Amino acid sequence: MNNGKIVAGLDAGHVDTKAVIKRGQEILVYSTVATGFDVVAAAEAALNHALDTIGISRHELAGIVSTGIFRDMVKVAPLNVTRTVPEYVADVKGAFFLNKSSRTVIDIGGNIHKAMHYDQNGSLLDVIQNDKCADGLGIFYTTMARSLGLNEQEMSELALKSTKDVSVAIQCALSAESEAIDLMCQGVDIADVADAVSKFMSERVAAMCTYLPLTKEIVVAGGLAKSPTLIKHLSTLIKQDISVLSLPEYVGAIGAAISYEGSQT
Amino acid sequence: MPYSLTTWNDFKNYQTTCYRNYLYAPQGLRCMGSTWSILAPLKGLGEDIHLIGGEPHAASTAGTFPDESREDISAAETGGLGFHSCSYLKLFTGEVIRDKIAITDRTIKEGYPRPDVIWTTHLCSQHSKWYQEVSRRLGGIPMYPIDMIGGGNAEKDPKIVNYVSDQIEEGIGWLERVTGREFSDELFIKAARNEIKVLVLWGNICAMNMAAPAPLDERRLIALFPPAVVDRTTDETVRLYEALLKEVRYMVETKDSVVPDQRYRIVYFGIAHTYGHPEMARILRDAGAEIVASVYTFGTCGNFRGFVNGKWSWQPLDLQWVDELDLTTRRKAITELVKIALGWPTWQGVRSYWALEQMARAMVVEYKADGLLLAPSRSCETDFRNGYIAMQRIFKDQIPTVEYDTDQVDVRKMDLPGAQRKTELFVHLMEAHKKGGA
Amino acid sequence: MTMTKNGSDAIIGRFRQMIENRHDYAKSVKGKGQLLAGYMCTHVPEEILYAAGIVPVRILSSHVSQAMTRSYIHETYCSFSHDCAYQGLQHNYDYLDLIATSSSCIHMSEAFNVWVRFAGFQQKSFLIPYPHIMQTKPAGDFLVASFGEFKQFVEKLAKKPITEDDLERAIKVYNQNRRLLKRLWELLRRDQPTVTGPEVATATLASQVMDKQECNQMLEQLIQSLEASLGKAPSGVRLMVTGGACDDLGIFDLIEHLSYSVSLVFIDSCTAARYFWFEVPEDRPDKLKALIEGYLGRIPCPAKDNVPGTGEKKRFRFIQQFIEDFKPDGVVFLYQRFCSPQPMDVVALKPILEKLGIPSTELELDTTVPITQFRTQLEALVEIITRVAP
Repeated sequence: MNNGKIVAGLDAGHVDTKAVIKRGQEILVYSTVATGFDVVAAAEAALNHALDTIGISRHELAGIVSTGIFRDMVKVAPLNVTRTVPEYVADVKGAFFLNKSSRTVIDIGGNIHKAMHYDQNGSLLDVIQNDKCADGLGIFYTTMARSLGLNEQEMSELALKSTKDVSVAIQCALSAESEAIDLMCQGVDIADVADAVSKFMSERVAAMCTYLPLTKEIVVAGGLAKSPTLIKHLSTLIKQDISVLSLPEYVGAIGAAISYEGSQT
Repeated sequence: MPYSLTTWNDFKNYQTTCYRNYLYAPQGLRCMGSTWSILAPLKGLGEDIHLIGGEPHAASTAGTFPDESREDISAAETGGLGFHSCSYLKLFTGEVIRDKIAITDRTIKEGYPRPDVIWTTHLCSQHSKWYQEVSRRLGGIPMYPIDMIGGGNAEKDPKIVNYVSDQIEEGIGWLERVTGREFSDELFIKAARNEIKVLVLWGNICAMNMAAPAPLDERRLIALFPPAVVDRTTDETVRLYEALLKEVRYMVETKDSVVPDQRYRIVYFGIAHTYGHPEMARILRDAGAEIVASVYTFGTCGNFRGFVNGKWSWQPLDLQWVDELDLTTRRKAITELVKIALGWPTWQGVRSYWALEQMARAMVVEYKADGLLLAPSRSCETDFRNGYIAMQRIFKDQIPTVEYDTDQVDVRKMDLPGAQRKTELFVHLMEAHKKGGA
Repeated sequence: MTMTKNGSDAIIGRFRQMIENRHDYAKSVKGKGQLLAGYMCTHVPEEILYAAGIVPVRILSSHVSQAMTRSYIHETYCSFSHDCAYQGLQHNYDYLDLIATSSSCIHMSEAFNVWVRFAGFQQKSFLIPYPHIMQTKPAGDFLVASFGEFKQFVEKLAKKPITEDDLERAIKVYNQNRRLLKRLWELLRRDQPTVTGPEVATATLASQVMDKQECNQMLEQLIQSLEASLGKAPSGVRLMVTGGACDDLGIFDLIEHLSYSVSLVFIDSCTAARYFWFEVPEDRPDKLKALIEGYLGRIPCPAKDNVPGTGEKKRFRFIQQFIEDFKPDGVVFLYQRFCSPQPMDVVALKPILEKLGIPSTELELDTTVPITQFRTQLEALVEIITRVAP
């Protein structure tokens, strides 16, 4: 147990880099910076922003653990992380920390989505990740929102106003985007298009989830978990109740921070 | 210490010699075809038959000349073949379109050597059309496709065996008419016995990997099976594989292996994809994980006991049985060839999902697997993709099972980052499984 | 748009409803005590089923956008196969007494496998081993055994033998259906057709999900009505479609509702003309062999088309004949995205069309269809044909 020790977790993702600082069982602060194309700079910025917010300096940290797709790139100087953990390990630790009753976490990220199944001790049992065609759901969602002049939250709210069931191509984000634009050209209501986009994403995630036993409680992590439309569709498709973890986009970073204790053994 | 195979260079040289003969032989008959065809009938036309097979040639070209391969595939797409078409097909046809051919001795020859005949089969919906396209582009090369039908237990079904045998008989008559040569049963029967022998030998070699440690890893196996797919009808191929079997048996006796560190044994259902395979192998090797059994490498040109009392067995066939086979007449030789080809795991699995599933179950047990790695190819619709997705569903709660996207020879379709991520995940799951977790 | 009488409009309307409500129709047939068999490939010899008193119905798309089947069959299989697999998993067809297919393209074989493995059809399924190359000489003998096994299976299912008389009756009903459909399509050759291509396509598709005797009655009425009507001269550009399975009638409607005047004059696909453009000889004493002769003589699916010896695609002979008879100004290649055999034919067919001076365009089908993009492509084709100045 890290009683009193302050540790940082970094989740260096495709779209955003998240930093979490915790002490014992308490999350002290969290911060997000767009990853851009300098992942080390983004990681530094995220960490520094978090440190500045709570007014502590880097040397007060007992350690830093990185996870995410760029975990190995950010581990070097100047961050000099203590260890790295794979995303699926971090996700499970983070999800279990936030909800001890959970047994399955679905993480819908910017580029990758995955589902993990774990036991009552939070030990990883199985993992499934998306196939190539289903890459980039989160990035696609953001792009679609921007093309409609909205942010992700606004797009989700718009989708809730849908009154007509329309669909976009299911193959991949590229074909979905192409058909979304086609629907708009046909004069289909924007709310219905927004809902179709959400449904497309839920379909891809749900299809992947069916490989796992989906033991309850099922929780959702990742930035897109904050879209109520997406969650609604996902729950319908997998025919299970699901709940969104608090701080869903920070689950990986939280799990990374928790993993610090693993590096002490 | 990793063991070094003494027979290694002979295998490389054989493949190259076959290709060089096709390219440069001043006389003789050039025959183009498929590695999935029965090859011995071609050898009944004489002792100067030079073969080129679509799949092995495309695979070896991609491995030897990545840039040329990209040009070939581009040329095929510009020429009208779709992005989603088989990448072997596109590479092969692209060479025809560009009128140049590259082979394993690093030769790039301007001017594609025109085949005299095309002798092929119909593995998938693109396969026979592949050679139709090549024939068309070369001005109409006579071609003969044999419909193998395939399926689980196909070699035990008289209607299938007779159907395929009848086609081959017709095909032999056609070969005589088209080439103007008299068919020699003597040469044919000799080639037939060699072909069957090589297939059984390869099965025996692969079955040796049931030992712990497995003497050969999959990367070595991929490099050792080309002679069997390029031309398995010669006395020389028989000698090659007999020598290899002897060496591998010795390795098993002395517990030697080309990769001694085998903490995790993996069964692999996937094609030997040219791009990315070394990276995946490295990730696995770093964790002491080795692919010891592969349905593609084993089943493309190898025979095993197959279905015995309804269950698949990867145990080898008795070599003596081959020597004792009655091949005294043309029809008998054809029939035995047909049965052995229909017995290939690939011909069984591509048409019968239940056969593929049985093969996977048997492979996991017989080769004592710690994990099942599935790598369906994005541009192949046979058993390299057909049925693999469902396999993940069936096996995932029994043994660590991970599937990643790949492609035979098209680097654009190879999901390298995704494959790396998933291979790392696969190692993690196997480690956890061994510790009693996942 | 060609004028049709109210009577023929009503019949075509009923055909359209038959397609849209095909599950209700099928269940009503079952309600009358008949057995129902679904089929996924048109190389299934329906007459054998019909001879046993079983009504065959083709499995068509539901056009539901879903990704669930990606965890059963690979991404890069056509959406038609994914959709058919999905419908099995959704238990949309649980009322069927049998699902049958013949060895056809691998994508549809996988859809069939999903039904058998995961959708509860293990005990009520039959895969008919069928030649992958129809033109081999021994194919006929092979099918004698293969069709024979299927016949035995069907007899067990129906709990009665299938006699030669039963087969003869079934063959006659099916041949009548084929002749009627052919007559319907031939109306499009007229200078003043009384029916449109989309309407004919509708009737043809409906025939695949109906009891053939009922269908024949409706077709006879329709043809009578149409033959008695006066048509308007077809306006504008004549387009022909060639390709794979397409049960999305909206695409055919789109072709005739572009910004230009266009008539859809022929569809070479297994959901249209290829389905019925052959007959089973009625004068052969051995009816099973007659069936084999008929089915082997039909227009081959591209997945089965490779004449041994020459590598010829026999289907092209038929396409050239259709072009001669129906005189299209342009050709639309229409096939499922990820289809393997169709695009391989396109690359060989295009040079033939170019020699004939016939422009073409390619449209890839998916579960959902980008209507505006298709419209752009089709109108571009029309502009090329009519040499519209930019």
